[in-house]
Amino acid sequence: MRVSAETKQATRDRILRSAQRLFADQGYDATTTRDIARTANIAAGTLFNYFPTKDAIVASWARQALDDATEAFDLEASDVSGLEEDLFSFVALGLRKLKLMRKHLPALLETSLSPLVTHDAGDGPSLRVAQLEVVAKLAAKHGHGEISTVALQMYWSLYAGLLTFWSQDESRKQEDTLALLDQSLNMFVGWLRNNGAARSATNQP
Amino acid sequence: MPSLAQLLESFPETHDADAPADAALSEMIDSTALRPVPLGRMRRFGLLGTLQAKIAAAYLFYWVRGWFTSAAERERLLAETHWKSAARVLDSMSYLRGAAMKVGQTLANFPDVAPRAFVETLDQLHYDAPPMHWSLLAEMVRNELGDDPQQLFARFEQRAFAAASLGQVHRAELRSGEEVVLKIQYPGIARTIREDMRNLLLFLLPSRLSKDWESVKAQADDLRRRLELETDYEAEAATLTAVRSLFREDDGIVVPRVHSQFSTPRILTMDRIKGVHLDEFVARGPTQEQRNEVAKRLIRAWYRMMYSGRLLYLDFHPGNIMVLDDGRVGLLDFGMMLPLNDELWTLFHVIDRALTTGRREDRIAANEMWCDVDRDAWTADRVEITDAYADWCWRARYCGGEFDFGDEADFREGVDLFAKMAARRYTRAKPCTPVICRSQFGWRSILYRLRAKFDIRAIAESEVKATGWDRSDYL
Repeated sequence: MRVSAETKQATRDRILRSAQRLFADQGYDATTTRDIARTANIAAGTLFNYFPTKDAIVASWARQALDDATEAFDLEASDVSGLEEDLFSFVALGLRKLKLMRKHLPALLETSLSPLVTHDAGDGPSLRVAQLEVVAKLAAKHGHGEISTVALQMYWSLYAGLLTFWSQDESRKQEDTLALLDQSLNMFVGWLRNNGAARSATNQP
Repeated sequence: MPSLAQLLESFPETHDADAPADAALSEMIDSTALRPVPLGRMRRFGLLGTLQAKIAAAYLFYWVRGWFTSAAERERLLAETHWKSAARVLDSMSYLRGAAMKVGQTLANFPDVAPRAFVETLDQLHYDAPPMHWSLLAEMVRNELGDDPQQLFARFEQRAFAAASLGQVHRAELRSGEEVVLKIQYPGIARTIREDMRNLLLFLLPSRLSKDWESVKAQADDLRRRLELETDYEAEAATLTAVRSLFREDDGIVVPRVHSQFSTPRILTMDRIKGVHLDEFVARGPTQEQRNEVAKRLIRAWYRMMYSGRLLYLDFHPGNIMVLDDGRVGLLDFGMMLPLNDELWTLFHVIDRALTTGRREDRIAANEMWCDVDRDAWTADRVEITDAYADWCWRARYCGGEFDFGDEADFREGVDLFAKMAARRYTRAKPCTPVICRSQFGWRSILYRLRAKFDIRAIAESEVKATGWDRSDYL
């Protein structure tokens, strides 16, 4: 029997919702794929047709949250004073969308969040690519031209570090993460500015 | 007032080969506005260490050069050294913010200790702390109040209209039409302060060998607790509400009302008080009578909080005082208060006796009790200097009649006596002594700026009388 695309999507959504509930109730480590399948009313084998691992469920959830953030983000916002502020808004919006899964993000450090991974398992380009596309557009908007792969790599390392810090941030309402984000972006944009200036100087006859 | 960069440009030609060029220094200072608050302990420690080294080197350089220069030239060099140190202090404090800015504000309360231009430059800290950009600020509002500023308020000004030592202040309008201000804290500043204080204790470690180490440590701990408490705007809101209830309409003293539904430990929303800061009031050239009226209202507020509220207001500086068009005086910022608990209130009775009677034996008894020093440590020199300082603090109170708080010689006498006590290490005292001294010099320097002349005793006595306190045993 062929399963329609709608049914597939509904099953997939049900698995994600079940996983989210179980992670919240009993924690990520204590939740097994068998638990998730049982709660979603599907056979354990069926679950693996959708998600090969538990990490893949978290990755998919994160991808969805960040896609929502990208869609909601106003790339053309004109009331910001610079790249740093625009990037801050973009990352902060992503954090808000990821809030429910904050504590589970370390599960992705060696997979989707790793700077070395370019594709999520069976799930198209990694969430990294979608995020970096926005970063590149914002850099161009603020006059930094075409952003280098080194700069993007640096950005992603800072971003992955920020998410790791955030996942374990015990400060009130995770306010220390906001301070860290401010500092990280200040460093990144400063580096971009100096590096750009240095490149311009080198290119001069 | 010229900008710091303009002032630095007007420096005499420097002979200091190691010091950065003026232009480079100006650029460095201008760029600090863009730097975020450094949160890592080692990074901050490094900054503090660098700053200390810069200042020490500047003064050492002056000292060595002083061997080879005439007296007039030495004066010029000293002014120059002060200036460069001021620039470096300002640079570092713009960056360190938080607790370090409090140090800047304290220095600014000593108008005649440091060169006037130095103080005026530091004074800018009252208003010009580096800003949070709008995206960060809006995120703090979402984090704390649960929605976008534009959704929560009928109007919200993106541009800060004032800087507070721990955050910045924005004007807004409630949906009900009331005009308010929101004091919004820099994220992570509470942790910054804890780390500053740990660093301060590390710097104090060399004093550990002295017999007064425990007292020094207790004073540093007390300061840490007060600075940490200052980061809790919920506690400040409670204090504001308590203090506000102490005043009546005809007192001419305005304490803003808290809007608790828009207040959290990191955001404090209050009525907007419309007026000018004290410095602007003074700059407008008010008459002696107008200056006296402002001073008298400030002192009445100070005594009302002390005698009726059992609270010491510790944060006297021009940025916390507003003068309204109708002459009323507004007080802002109640984060730094000392509640007079039963133990302190008992001690305060002994002090009150001394500052009311003016008797030397009462002052000495109060000093002995406050300083908590072994009997054999009460040398004649210690008794004489601490008594002279207490006499300076309390003279205006026990003498009564019109007192000239703008007398420069009198103000300088107090500063010199304080410096002499510190130089001889007569600093062993109750843990809250540093903040009380800060407050003492704070209100005296405000009255000095106002060049106020009035009878402070009359105000104090009316405030005591209102509490029903029977002091007939003083006679």
